[in-house]
Amino acid sequence: MAQKLKDTILNPILKGNPITVLVLGICSSLAVTVQLKGALVMALSVIAVTGLSSFVCSLLRNTIPNRVRIIVQLVVVAMMVILVDQILKAGEGTYAIDKQLSVYIGLIITNCIVMGRIEAFALGNKPIPSLLDGLANGAGYGLILVIVAFFRELLGSGTLFGFQVLPASYVPNNLVILPPFALILLGCIIWAHRAYDKSLQEK
Amino acid sequence: MNTNSNVYTVIYTTLIVVVVASLLAFVAMKLGPAQQANAKAETLRQMMSAAQIKPAEELYAMSNADILQLYADTIAEAYTIGADGQPNGSLSVEKGKIELIDKLKPQNKAILAGAAVTLPVYVFQSGMKVIPIYGAGLWGPVWGYVAFQPDGRTIAGAFFDHESETPGLGAKIKDESWFREKFVGKTVLWSESPAFRLEKNAEAEGSVNAVDAITGATMTSKGLNEALNVWFKAYEKHFNREEE
Repeated sequence: MAQKLKDTILNPILKGNPITVLVLGICSSLAVTVQLKGALVMALSVIAVTGLSSFVCSLLRNTIPNRVRIIVQLVVVAMMVILVDQILKAGEGTYAIDKQLSVYIGLIITNCIVMGRIEAFALGNKPIPSLLDGLANGAGYGLILVIVAFFRELLGSGTLFGFQVLPASYVPNNLVILPPFALILLGCIIWAHRAYDKSLQEK
Repeated sequence: MNTNSNVYTVIYTTLIVVVVASLLAFVAMKLGPAQQANAKAETLRQMMSAAQIKPAEELYAMSNADILQLYADTIAEAYTIGADGQPNGSLSVEKGKIELIDKLKPQNKAILAGAAVTLPVYVFQSGMKVIPIYGAGLWGPVWGYVAFQPDGRTIAGAFFDHESETPGLGAKIKDESWFREKFVGKTVLWSESPAFRLEKNAEAEGSVNAVDAITGATMTSKGLNEALNVWFKAYEKHFNREEE
């Protein structure tokens, strides 16, 4: 049991990472990784949404009519996304970040990771493991987001969390700021991940 | 229980939608005041940055309460004008009851349609007058605040914002302080058309009413240029009247 729990939590972060292995949630990881701060808030938002949606759907799993289960899941996920957006907008410190992330918070609902985990895990498991599975998948997504944002902010603006870290003589690279570079970076991360974990390579 | 029967499905979906909707309505109601306070403080920050009260970075580091206090301390009066440029109402500047016209989209529509407008003018104690501008960028709306010296033609400062312009390109209108600083000291030539120009290589001609557009952000610059001129036109009678 303990081993299974450990797998539930660690697998989505490492071996079954939703971005680098399942290649889900790519769009938003290109869009919100220009700055670390935004990426971090986005990561936390997705963790909250995946965790809570999985939890609620798991609670309802025996009552959901099979024919409309996707719609019911969508309603639950949409509710969580709106809640997160509203709370970010209401916080004095998070208002500016919410503005900067603009539509991407709302678009968490279209993130395949959320629906994917509900379909694949939450509907067949008890609420607590489902919650952990959701949180861990969100964390796996967030981890990659933060790694990509780290390089993009460092090379694209010469800053980290808005603080200047590279000398002023560094000329920010404009390509790094544009979405295509995030894709290149993501490719490099997937490459490194597969080189490190040989079991991920296809025979 | 048969969870696949039609009756069950209909009742179940109705129930879940009603529950979720009421929950969201409740949350929106509870958080509404905090969200509006944030939006208001944001507008005040942008106005005060344009009016050169403090640099934008400092204003963004201040808490909402401090921003409201600073505004109450530095504002002289605020009023609205109609299409004829005449003042037709006043806006409270008292702390705790600060009134703003911050819904710029309907006003923009009214200006473009030639309908009746209610446009705000915020007069700071320094004599500077701050007016808003609003228009369409590349991906979404762009807006901003422009502060005029008491002479009604020299720009004292400006601040621009946007909803979803491209980071690193169009977003520079907000992110790069050098861009808004370019407007300082420029003059709006009310009698000319256009009264102000944000165009490629405009500065090289040495005109007092021109600022270079941002390289790589053609559509954002174009939209901002249009926003500036449409709104300047709407305020033209107000500022011209004062020169008499």
